[in-house]
Amino acid sequence: MPANTKSAGKTALAETGLSEQTLMGLYTNLLKTRLLDERFRKLFRQGRFAGTYFSAVGQEATTVGPTYGLRDDDIIAPSHREIGANVTKGVPIEIIAAQVYARGNSPDKGKSHPCHYGWRPKGVITPASTVAGQTIIGTGCAMAFRIQKKDNVVVAFFGEGSTARGGWHEALNYAGIYKLPIVYVCQNNLWAESVPATLAAGITDFADRAKAYGFPGVTIDGNDIVTVHKTAADAIAKARSGGGPTLIECKTYRWYGHSEIDPADYRAQEELEAWKKKDPVLRAEKLLTDLGLLTTEKREAMVEQISAEIDAAIDSVDKAPYSAPEEAYNDVYSAQFPVRRDEY
Amino acid sequence: MKKVTYIEAITQALDEEMARDERVFLIGEDIGLYGGVFKATKGLMDKYGAERVIDSPISEVYIAGGSVGAAMVGMKPVPEIQFADFITPSMDQIIQQMAKLRYRTAGQWTCPVTMRVCCGADVGGGLYHSQINEQWFVSQPGLIVVMPATPYDAKGLLKAAIRGEDPVIYFEHKRLYRWIKEEIPEDDFTVPIGKAAVRKKGNDITIVSYGLMYHRAAEAVTALEKDGISAELIDMRTLLPWDRETIFESVKKTSRAVLVQESSKTGGVMGEVGAAIAEEIFDYLDAPVTRVCGIDVPAVPFAPPMEHFFLPNADKISRAVKKVLEY
Ligand SMILES: Cc1ncc(C[n+]2csc(CCOP(=O)(O)OP(=O)(O)O)c2C)c(N)n1
Repeated sequence: MPANTKSAGKTALAETGLSEQTLMGLYTNLLKTRLLDERFRKLFRQGRFAGTYFSAVGQEATTVGPTYGLRDDDIIAPSHREIGANVTKGVPIEIIAAQVYARGNSPDKGKSHPCHYGWRPKGVITPASTVAGQTIIGTGCAMAFRIQKKDNVVVAFFGEGSTARGGWHEALNYAGIYKLPIVYVCQNNLWAESVPATLAAGITDFADRAKAYGFPGVTIDGNDIVTVHKTAADAIAKARSGGGPTLIECKTYRWYGHSEIDPADYRAQEELEAWKKKDPVLRAEKLLTDLGLLTTEKREAMVEQISAEIDAAIDSVDKAPYSAPEEAYNDVYSAQFPVRRDEY
Repeated sequence: MKKVTYIEAITQALDEEMARDERVFLIGEDIGLYGGVFKATKGLMDKYGAERVIDSPISEVYIAGGSVGAAMVGMKPVPEIQFADFITPSMDQIIQQMAKLRYRTAGQWTCPVTMRVCCGADVGGGLYHSQINEQWFVSQPGLIVVMPATPYDAKGLLKAAIRGEDPVIYFEHKRLYRWIKEEIPEDDFTVPIGKAAVRKKGNDITIVSYGLMYHRAAEAVTALEKDGISAELIDMRTLLPWDRETIFESVKKTSRAVLVQESSKTGGVMGEVGAAIAEEIFDYLDAPVTRVCGIDVPAVPFAPPMEHFFLPNADKISRAVKKVLEY
């Protein structure tokens, strides 16, 4: 494509069907997610925080695309690998970092797990670790929006492996019956821990499952931010206007282990290399460059600015204390039912 | 005799029982190609094939319910629950089917399933990777619940469970996997289900525990010895049906009891043991039966200071013992 002339850029821009602002917004979130995710991986390997870290490098488009453009009062129901959805929904990096570091200023005060991000001001449901759990809860939120006659929507995220759970099927069945305002985003990254997608289901396109529940399912290229965003935005608009749920399956890939303590030696190096060539961030970068929206200088300036933001956040959580141990007693019940404290 | 870790003892038991009895098969998440997230089943798929070491989808309902079905037609399933925290979807199958099958069919069908459940805190696992929820199961007659504390018991109890005719929930503590090493016989052996072990004789007080907390209690016993206190230490090993004779006999002798469990106090195993002591041998007691437990909150919090605050330890146990002795 003769990309660098302005007029050629304009034509191609129209082809994407997205505005310049949207494309740049998507790219900024992709870049932010990638840089933050890579930073956390490094920090974990340096022993700077406890537990483990679930990287989503390689599959950023599947979380950024559906989340971009949501309202603050829309709900997202993420799982353990949805840092991109949190970033895009507008959860501040300091909050995300405090969660990862389990510090006292984390939204959960350090009670849950590093990758169980959740923050009420931006409508992010804190996930429970029982996978697909948040999909079921998210469906409940959509049911309430229907009862409340609100036009809010829910976007629920999960991996292909999680779709094997009975509760997942019960939720989608219910959503289909009542045409709830929810969009289900399946991130098919081909692996559920060490179990390949071929052993997670007897079908290859997980979107086919929607048929059983009476709403549409689509399988798309999850590494193409334009496709992911447009497909999701259409589904969200439809859900918002009473048209019912959609199941979107994004074919994608996670570059690293299930978490940072997994060397992922169960999969072939060639498979990884092939997918690295389909890097969703580089792909967006190329598109934007071709459209004349991005230059090397501009990108570098963005990286610098985001990195500074990340540095500041990490610096502040490094200094932030853990909650006092007695915090463990708080938030069991509402204040009128104090918890018995044992002294030994 | 060779020194083996707790997890090696588990792998050996599975391997030997699979070799011994072709009805034995394994099913669970990541147990085959990967050898299990903690490597308890490492090498077994290579040895016994994908039909006897089955990589399951994320289907805890099926892992439990499918095992019940297979057991009904002559197999000996040994399903694995990767983290005790994720056993909840299986509860319907465990409580309504597994535990009640013999009873509701008047013995026409039985359910020899040995469900391995990886549990426990003190590993920095976070709120959903640290739970120990044996208390949910000990309230369900029809189930057998065991929790070994040593490699010898880990192997012997697992073999006994697999060879038995009843459903067993076999809790293994992830903190013990590589921490505890012990010499165990190379010849075949089992550890009887339903029998506690008196690990150390003593006269002043009885300390009862199991699992990881057995080791914390043992640390306390050593510390108390230095203060001239002679504690008798009991490892329950089987939590349902539990060994009343051994525990009662000891408490009759010492007249005092401190009961230690990792899970929250309310509704726990030690509530049952304590109530039984009070109900049946009250006359022998010189002081109230006292429990040292995880604190009464919904789960083990993640941040390290809170996780340690949650758990019993040797100091807490020693202080409780001294308080009871001063009563
Ligand atoms: C009910 C339940 N069972 C098992 C686990 C352990 N576990 C955590 S993540 C995971 C794999 C999830 O795979 P998938 O849904 O494909 O998501 P991905 O990790 O690939 O993003 C498993 C088995 C869990 N968290 N919850």
